[in-house]
Amino acid sequence: MASIVRPSLLRQTALAARCAKPAFRNNAIKASAFHTSSQRSAFLPPGPQRIEGTVNDPAPVPPPSASHGSYHWTFERLLAAGLVPLTIAPFAAGSLNPTTDAILCSAVLLHSHIGFQSVIIDYIPKTRYSGLRKIFWWGLNLATVTVGVGLYEFETNDIGVTEAIKKIWKA
Amino acid sequence: MRLSGLQKEVLALYRQCLRECRKKPQNTRAHFEKFVRDEFSRNIAVEKRDFAAIEFLLRKGHRQLDVYSSPGIKDIR
Amino acid sequence: MAALRSSTRVLSSSTRAAFRPSAVFSRSMASVSETTEQQPKIKSFQIYRWNPDTPTEKPKLQTYSIDLNKTGPMILDALIKIKNEQDPSLTFRRSCREGICGSCAMNINGQNTLACLCRIPAESSSDVKIYPLPHTYVVKDLVPDLTHFYKQYKSIQPYLQRDTPAEDGKEYRQSKADRKKLDGLYECILCACCSTSCPSYWWNSEEYLGPAILLQSYRWLIDSRDERTEARKSKLENSMSLYRCHTILNCTRACPKGLNPGKAIAEIKKQMSLGS
Repeated sequence: MASIVRPSLLRQTALAARCAKPAFRNNAIKASAFHTSSQRSAFLPPGPQRIEGTVNDPAPVPPPSASHGSYHWTFERLLAAGLVPLTIAPFAAGSLNPTTDAILCSAVLLHSHIGFQSVIIDYIPKTRYSGLRKIFWWGLNLATVTVGVGLYEFETNDIGVTEAIKKIWKA
Repeated sequence: MRLSGLQKEVLALYRQCLRECRKKPQNTRAHFEKFVRDEFSRNIAVEKRDFAAIEFLLRKGHRQLDVYSSPGIKDIR
Repeated sequence: MAALRSSTRVLSSSTRAAFRPSAVFSRSMASVSETTEQQPKIKSFQIYRWNPDTPTEKPKLQTYSIDLNKTGPMILDALIKIKNEQDPSLTFRRSCREGICGSCAMNINGQNTLACLCRIPAESSSDVKIYPLPHTYVVKDLVPDLTHFYKQYKSIQPYLQRDTPAEDGKEYRQSKADRKKLDGLYECILCACCSTSCPSYWWNSEEYLGPAILLQSYRWLIDSRDERTEARKSKLENSMSLYRCHTILNCTRACPKGLNPGKAIAEIKKQMSLGS
C-alpha cells in the first residue's frame, strides 16, 4: 500500500502526526460528500487512460510528418486568411463569376472540413476511443463529400452561392 | 459468464503478478504469491460498478508490480 | 515545527516594539501575532479530500474554519495551519513557500495557482475552495500524479545538446542579445498550473505536450548554444505534440510566475512554418 504514496508524503504525515495538538477541534470540521445522489452526473466519466512505459521512460514521440505538422498548419492559416478577400470580392466587384464562386465554395468546404477534423481529433482521442474516432472520421468525410456534391449541383443547376446570399440579403 | 473490459484487466493484472512471482528465487516465491493474493483479496469486495475505485486500484497495482518485479527485490514479508 | 513557530512569534513581536513598519513586512510561516484586542476573522476553507486507502469512498469537500488574524497572508499558510492544528491527515505538497519550487500548485477558487503565491481573499466572506489540479490523477487529497507530465518533459530532452566543443575549451559563450531571448522562458518552474488549465491538454494529455512542456521546448529551440534545433523541431512535426494548441490562452492566464506560454507556442508555430 505504501509503495504508491511518495515517501516524502509519508514523512510529512508522520511529522504532522507527531506535533499535532491533542485538542482536535472536531467541531470546526464539517464534511460534505460530492455526490449525494446516485444518479449519473452531467459529465461523462473520462475514458480509459493509459500511460506508456515506466516512470523513467520519456513519453513516446510520434513519427515526424510535416504534412500533418507545419505544412498542415500553414495551409490552414493561409486558407483562413484567404477566405476573407474571397468572401468580399464577389460583392465588392458586383459581378457574378462562376470561377470566383467555385473557388469560394471549395475554400469554405476545405476550411470547414479541416476545422471539423480538428474538433474530432480534440474531443475523440484516438488512444481512448479508437472505434468511435473511426466512425466520426469517415462520417465527416462522407458529410464533406455530400456537401461538395450539393454545392456543385447548386452552382451548376441553380443560381449559385453568391447570388443566393444576395437574394436572401435583399429579401 | 461474460466479463467486462475492466474485469478482464483485473484478471490480466492478477495473472501477470503471479507470473512475475515465478521469476523470484525458489525459497521466497511463496511470500510473493501470498502478498499478491492478500493485496487482491483485500479489495475483493469493491462494487463492480465502482469504476473510479477499480481504475485507481488497477493503476496502483501496475505501479506496485513495476516496483516489485525488479530483480533486486528478492524477498517480501 | 511548533517550536519554530513560537520562536518566530517572539521575534516578530520584539521587532514590532522597536520598529513599527517592519511588522507590516514580516511574513512568518504560520502566524503573525496581531491578536488579543482584535476580534477573530473566521474564514472557511473547503478542501477536496480523497484517501487512497479507502478507494471506494467518494471524494468529498471538507470545511475547515480558521482565524485569519492568527494566520499568514497566503493560502499555503492557512493549509499548513489546518494541517498543524486541525487535521494532520490533510495532504498537500509544499516546499519553498515562496513560489520557486512549484510544489504547491493547486486549484484555488477555480484558478490554478501556487498556494504560496495566492493571498487569502480577506475581503470577500465566501468560502475558499481548494481542489487538486484539474484532470490529473489524484494521489491523495491535494496531491496530483504528475508522472506523465514529467515523462513528457523528459521526451523533449531538456538539456544542452552540442556536437562542437567550446572555442576556449571552457564554456559556451552567448551574446547578451541571445541571452535576452531566454528571459521569460527560463523562469518556468514546471508547476503544471498552465498545462492542467488547458482544455486541449485535458482531452489529449497522452499525446499533446501541453503549454509548460512546449514553453520549455521553445526555450531549447531558441538557445543559441544548442545545436540540435532541427531534431527538436522534427519531434514537434506531427499533428498532436504541438498543433493541438488552439490559442485558448488559459495557460497565460493561469501562470503564477507571469510567463506567457501561449506566446512561446505561437513563436514555435511561426518558426516551424517559416522554417527560420
